[in-house]
Amino acid sequence: MRKFIPIIVFAFIFSSCEVIEGPYMSDSVNPIDTTTNNYVKNILIEDFTGHLCKNCPDAASELEAIQSVYGSQIIGLAIHSGTTFARSYPIDPVSNPDDKFIYDFRTMWGEELDVFFEVSENGLPKGMINRSDYNSSGDHRKDFGQWSSIVADELDKEVKFGIDIEVIQNSNMPSDQFDIIINSEAVSNVQNNHKLVVCITENNITNWQKDGDIDNPTYTHKHVLRSFLTPTWGDDLSSEEINIGDSFSNAYTIVISDLEDFNIEHSENTLTLGNGNSGGWDLSNLYVLAYIYDISNYEILQVEEKSLF
Amino acid sequence: MGMKKNYLKKYKTLFRNNMKIRFVIFLLTFFALSSYSQNSGQISGDFSLNLQSYVEDEAINAQAADEVILNNAFLNLLYSNKNLTIGLRYESYLNALLDYDSEFRGNGIPYRFATYTIDGLEITAGNFYEQFGSGLIFRSYEEKGLGIDNSMDGIRLKYKLGKGINIKSFVGKSRTYFTYAEGIFRGADLEVDINESFNFENETKYIIGSSFISRYEERSNPIFEIPQNVAAYSGRLNIISGGWNYFGEYAHKINDPINSLQESEMNYASGNAFTSSITYSQRGFGVTAEMHRVDNMLFLSERERTGKAYIMNYIPTLSKPHAYTLLAIYPCATQAMGELGIQLDVFYKFKKGTPLGGKYGTKVNFNFSRINGLEGGNSMLNDNIDFSPKLFDFSQELYFSDINLEINKKINKQISYNAVFANQTYNKDFLEGKTPGEYGTINSTIAVLDLSYKIKKGHTIRFETQALFAKQLETATNDEEGDWLMGLVEYTISPNWFFAFQDMYNYGNENESKRLHYTNINIGYLKGSTRFEIGYGKKREGIFCVGGVCKLVPSSNGLNLSITSSF
Repeated sequence: MRKFIPIIVFAFIFSSCEVIEGPYMSDSVNPIDTTTNNYVKNILIEDFTGHLCKNCPDAASELEAIQSVYGSQIIGLAIHSGTTFARSYPIDPVSNPDDKFIYDFRTMWGEELDVFFEVSENGLPKGMINRSDYNSSGDHRKDFGQWSSIVADELDKEVKFGIDIEVIQNSNMPSDQFDIIINSEAVSNVQNNHKLVVCITENNITNWQKDGDIDNPTYTHKHVLRSFLTPTWGDDLSSEEINIGDSFSNAYTIVISDLEDFNIEHSENTLTLGNGNSGGWDLSNLYVLAYIYDISNYEILQVEEKSLF
Repeated sequence: MGMKKNYLKKYKTLFRNNMKIRFVIFLLTFFALSSYSQNSGQISGDFSLNLQSYVEDEAINAQAADEVILNNAFLNLLYSNKNLTIGLRYESYLNALLDYDSEFRGNGIPYRFATYTIDGLEITAGNFYEQFGSGLIFRSYEEKGLGIDNSMDGIRLKYKLGKGINIKSFVGKSRTYFTYAEGIFRGADLEVDINESFNFENETKYIIGSSFISRYEERSNPIFEIPQNVAAYSGRLNIISGGWNYFGEYAHKINDPINSLQESEMNYASGNAFTSSITYSQRGFGVTAEMHRVDNMLFLSERERTGKAYIMNYIPTLSKPHAYTLLAIYPCATQAMGELGIQLDVFYKFKKGTPLGGKYGTKVNFNFSRINGLEGGNSMLNDNIDFSPKLFDFSQELYFSDINLEINKKINKQISYNAVFANQTYNKDFLEGKTPGEYGTINSTIAVLDLSYKIKKGHTIRFETQALFAKQLETATNDEEGDWLMGLVEYTISPNWFFAFQDMYNYGNENESKRLHYTNINIGYLKGSTRFEIGYGKKREGIFCVGGVCKLVPSSNGLNLSITSSF
């Protein structure tokens, strides 16, 4: 017994250590094989963020790094949420002469998702990767260092739905009115109920952001959530059971200025410390984002994105 | 509907694992059986309940809780019979108090263990707490005040290898709230009492120790090489000779990068820490000089996670722990990623009958501590950067300093007092993670007088008066909190009752609308080992620390009730 124990202890001591010598960067990834199916699995990263959150740009950069590895399969959605990190500063030349952080990026839907998934109350930045782990013992709110490995796991999953986004604008419509048609298809057998969510995002908004130890007035905010065209928890794809090969079509007509006015009114009258400064949308940077999720565990099974123009 | 769903998820998680329930049934049966047998061993336990109501108070920015009342409670049960000890803790957070992480939610038995000792081998299965040396590479502990419990769940063996030689080793996962972090820890610690094991008949005693810990986490990364097994080790030496005591420990952790795809986030540098202290003490006099340096030494149970629930090592703080409120408003939080600190502590008792000692003697304690950052920050290594900060550079950004003098004196049979004078410097921007220039660095001068007057047998009245005068060391964009006054009156009728009234007044706040009173009233009743306390009042938002580990306490307004009991 006496001899045995130290042997066991020291045996594992010397076996459990991995010192890595540079170079630390290894070869790049193999591209995904897209020949077997018309649709590839896309991943939605919901990046909960705020312009007052000094570490949030690190998460946004991680999202970009993941996109540079996996390309268009990774779709980002920046949800500015919570009073602590996303509130707007007052527009007041005396107390805030530089007009810092006076924009209100928050939306009604973003706040609802934030409260439901309990994200910003536990500190930002946090993200959800296809909302995985919501119904498991693990935590669905992921720190950005966890994102890439979860993305890799998600990409290995079977493709269950395909989504195709059509944007139509006729010459007789106002310049900011669009018809959006979401065509989707079940490409494998699915159980449970599924819903479709369609929203509008805006890319490349230049505005204030706390970034590490500086207040950056010209930070580029990427894929910012602007509006939902469906209710927060989506529209039905079908009232009947979904079988392989079934296809669906959901249509929405939108007027961008109405959506914009809604956010301005909501910021001014409903949000804590809101100031109504939520306008100035740039039509040329707007995108339609659509995803299908399983209502039993909130997991997002497919997501697609298309520019409005 | 949404919130309900969320609770359901946690409950499901708790009860999904049948093993846990079986274990509980096993324990309960064991208790039942043991009470019938002749040689039934001993059962002990303790209970704590902490209930608080939260109402909205816009002036102090206090939020109301949706639940109105929040509640933390736990019950420990311990059964021991000869070589065997088994125990469990039932914990209930319905829902957790606002100063706790909200992941503490629901009920459960997250702590249960059995230990027995045979032939010098101690075996523990289940949960256990463990610390190697001063904790630089590993500390699993619980601190209810901070809402920290990273107890291990696994197997631990302790064995006495020979005279003065002790070895312990374990394998386990660490608790985070009601679940476990992914990292699997394997650790071993060897401690040798040289004098005992080699039969040295020497005045000077030498104890040496060495520890090793390794964490396994399954990880993959398409761009960067990632270590799955990350190890840390340490060596320590303790020399005791007469009134002298030296303790030194050095720790090293190998590369432990997060699993990012961004080069700037990837840090392959190793971490290191050392701590060194020398104490001399004799009757009525003691002096301790201490120093430590820490670089890139944060060791987490899941490398990518943020939050104190995942921290698995401990860097002992180098500042005096203050109990008086205004002395602890700006506390020192230890920086495991990098700091250099020194501390000097001197204790002296003027003997009775001397001019300064008076009739009963006078105790004096002088303390100085100073902590600053490392030059250029912590070590950093990747394909683009290879940086390590200078070993000793005390000229870097100051994080915290405290110089204070405490005098404790009994004047006569009725009156005694404790007085403290301190000057503290607190780098609020850095220590609270703000952008430089938001709040700046605060220098405060604090005076405390704590006076006790014994009215008659069993009746004591105590007055605390405290004042804090703050100075902003550079201009900041946010309003200064400024000066504070505090007063407390406490009346104790031993052994059963106490009544306390206290008021904190932020009279110097730069923002006139925030010159507020934070008033609290408390009544306590003690009977045997049971204690009831009920209080009502306002709490200021602030940082609360125990041993350099800190949490943010939100402001609150409401009623609180606490009951503790043991048997």
